[in-house]
Amino acid sequence: MDLIERMKSGELLPSEHLEEILETIKEKEPILNAFITLDEEGARRQAKELDKHAGKDPRGRLFGVVIAIKDNIAVRGLRLTCASKMLENFVSPYDATVVERLRKEGAIIIGKTNMDEFACGSSGETSYFGPTRNPWDIQRVPGGSSSGSAVAVASGMSDLALGSDTGGSIRNPASFTGVFGFKPTYNLVSRYGLVDLAMSLDVIGPFSRDSEGIAVVMDIINGPDGRDAGVQRRLDFLSTYENFDPEGVKVGWGEGFLLGVEEPVRRRFERFLNVLDSLGAELFELKVPEMNKVWPLYYLIMYPEFASAMQRYDGLKYGFRGSGNSLDEVISSARGSAFGREVKRRIILGTYLSMEKYEKSFHELAIRLRRGLRYEVKKLFDSVDFLVSPTVPFLPFKLGERLDDPVKMYSADALTVLANLTGIPAINVPFGFEEGLPVGMQIIGRWFEDDRVVAMAKHLEGKG
Amino acid sequence: MKIGFEIHVQLKTESKLFCSCSTSYWTAEANTNVCPVCTGLPGAKPLPVNEEAIRKALMVALALGMEIEPEIVFLRKHYFYPDLPSGYQRTSTPLGRNGTLRNVRIRELHVEEDPGRYELREGLVDFNRSGVPLIEIVTEPDMTSIEEAEAFLRDLHLLLTYLDVILNPSIVFRVDANISLEGGERVEVKNINSIEGVRRALQYELLRQKRLLALGKKILRETRHWDEVRGVTVSLRTKETEEDYRYMPDPDIPPVEIPPELVEEVRRGLPELPWERVDRFVKEYHLDRTVAEALVRDKELGEFFEEKAKNIDPKFWGEFLSSRLKGELNYRNLSFSDVKGKSDEFFLIAKAWYDGKITKEVAVDLLRRYLDGKIEDLSSEIEESSVVEDVESIVREVVSELEDVVEDYKKGKKGAINRLVGEVMKRTKGRADARKVRELLEETLNSDSS
Repeated sequence: MDLIERMKSGELLPSEHLEEILETIKEKEPILNAFITLDEEGARRQAKELDKHAGKDPRGRLFGVVIAIKDNIAVRGLRLTCASKMLENFVSPYDATVVERLRKEGAIIIGKTNMDEFACGSSGETSYFGPTRNPWDIQRVPGGSSSGSAVAVASGMSDLALGSDTGGSIRNPASFTGVFGFKPTYNLVSRYGLVDLAMSLDVIGPFSRDSEGIAVVMDIINGPDGRDAGVQRRLDFLSTYENFDPEGVKVGWGEGFLLGVEEPVRRRFERFLNVLDSLGAELFELKVPEMNKVWPLYYLIMYPEFASAMQRYDGLKYGFRGSGNSLDEVISSARGSAFGREVKRRIILGTYLSMEKYEKSFHELAIRLRRGLRYEVKKLFDSVDFLVSPTVPFLPFKLGERLDDPVKMYSADALTVLANLTGIPAINVPFGFEEGLPVGMQIIGRWFEDDRVVAMAKHLEGKG
Repeated sequence: MKIGFEIHVQLKTESKLFCSCSTSYWTAEANTNVCPVCTGLPGAKPLPVNEEAIRKALMVALALGMEIEPEIVFLRKHYFYPDLPSGYQRTSTPLGRNGTLRNVRIRELHVEEDPGRYELREGLVDFNRSGVPLIEIVTEPDMTSIEEAEAFLRDLHLLLTYLDVILNPSIVFRVDANISLEGGERVEVKNINSIEGVRRALQYELLRQKRLLALGKKILRETRHWDEVRGVTVSLRTKETEEDYRYMPDPDIPPVEIPPELVEEVRRGLPELPWERVDRFVKEYHLDRTVAEALVRDKELGEFFEEKAKNIDPKFWGEFLSSRLKGELNYRNLSFSDVKGKSDEFFLIAKAWYDGKITKEVAVDLLRRYLDGKIEDLSSEIEESSVVEDVESIVREVVSELEDVVEDYKKGKKGAINRLVGEVMKRTKGRADARKVRELLEETLNSDSS
């Protein structure tokens, strides 16, 4: 945020800052593959425009800050590929609400970041445009699905980034690349312009190398826009961020969050609890939901919603064009050749789960379980202010290692899906390294106490 | 025979159901009345549901005497078709249940969004219509003849007109009709766009199914498509290939509450319904029920009747409009709304007739010539054709001049009097009452012979 002051005063022109970033991109991008579309020209034009105001009448809380946008969020005039062959050449004619708001605050949009195809993945490997690599060890995955956004921020190819989180897609890659990544309360940030994965779980959230970046971006993008029927509330992140005191807050944790957590991560988590204690937080060991029992529910809900969301890609109106002699043939050929394996897997399972003969049993079961889980979590928050856990149960794994084993791949989400299923806010706090790889810790808060979650994270910053 | 309907009606609202695009889709150039939402672009979300549409749907449900649900949920109905931008149609759970119209039970009414339009032959899609609010009215299979089915649709059309909820008067209904005969299964015919079309489609189906039964063949449950141009129904799918729509509550649309206060407010705001108006016309103006019904059946005609009823005998006026004027209009293939601008003149004619200023013959003649545009100044024509006061002198004149005819009459050729009547009418230019003339003549001739 120092950076913004320097640019506003004219000490460092937005263009100069942008050129530094473009240099970094030139050097690192060929290896890391964090971007699908780079908009150097557009970014330079934006920066030049801001230069005119620097030192005179600089406006906007993100004056000259460079931001990267996950390629499932609409940016007018840029491709919106969702890392899929299906939308390889689809250019968005409109801005997502979050993008519109960031632009107004003087942010420079550098480009669209790589991701798992249609956000289906936890490793950044299912992209049609090739996998993104972890900057800490390029043989390893950066996590996903917001792989490129996390990597762009972690490697200095962008100041900030936006991602989306359906089951952990922001927090997981934030943890694997050592940056802050925040998943807001469901219905706090408008999803207008976010391409659907599972509509009742999806949220948009920011990545930043510091907690302050998270607070500022959240302050800008949260609140109603009239274009997402669910969003009704707005929170003031900045004053909470300034004034929050961790002394005496109640923090809960439990063995249920540690099932399947590997040793190095568990070690870090113990250290995390010690730091919390030293901050004056009161720690409570609670009986928390057993995560390995919770995350199958995630699939019961996500698959059918995903299959529904994917219906629109028929290869007729836009995107990859199919061929054939009948409507069915054209649609099948488009979907058959333009979707990747994981996307197809989820469409097939989702279609099956939502068929009339199964819909009742599965859908009603999912609703009942979800309601029960929500109640259980609500009860936990009666006694504590925050829940904490590791973000991912293990360290970043090697590229290709889990691609053929969906169950093992999916287990990366075990600790993150709880926040999506219940709608509560959660942040990844980078908390040191194990075996030379970043480890992240998760702070989870009550519904619409997002500002407190981010403020709490501030006090753990750099303590790993 | 049993007939039931699923009837789709586009609702008259300013904007579409889930976005702010206009509903007047038919006036815009193809694919210009659209936005990311109604074309289902990646990332676009539905706006909060259009409350005006919910209100209008509620009006119809209440007018049909339905029970109103406290909450509706929008579901996604999944299928692939070129005119369906998102691969699913948003359709609500029932807003109303258990209504009736014309002794036909209405099972339910719900709200949904219209898809775009697909021109099969050219392979083009126009999304201007996509997202326009619709209601779907589902009846029980309570109609037992084509005439009854047609009458039901006409009454429904009238009701919707009174409620002023019809968006596009040139396509009021899109109807799926199901028809089953004794000994056969239910056949659904889709894509019928008018009442006339429903009659033709049902007639075709009746014939087709009867023929199959006569040949000893089975009628299986199937869905057929009405081909308006060829006038036939074509099989779309049989039960075995029935689609699974994978209905699912739309996670992007919060459930819509229908609070009792809203229901009451809409109920209080309902306009007078057609059957209520008939009752009132009978009671207030002492009209025959058939006359009242004829007036009410044409909303504007009924309103015109009332506008002038204070200035004339309502019974006479009602009959004039419902039989004289309607008859002339039907003959010319016109409806009252086509001639609404000229309606004050109709009243002038009726009034002059009622006051005895002109004869029935003159009134009818004036009405016809007026409708055919052959009268420039109606008031002066009425003046010129007003009844001749002094018919007696003309009668005397004729009797004295046509001596030979009078002779014939006196010799017993009673038919000769017709020539005398004709002559009087000719000399009065028809402005006398022919029956009165005959009476006068008979009186004169008989007194002469004494």
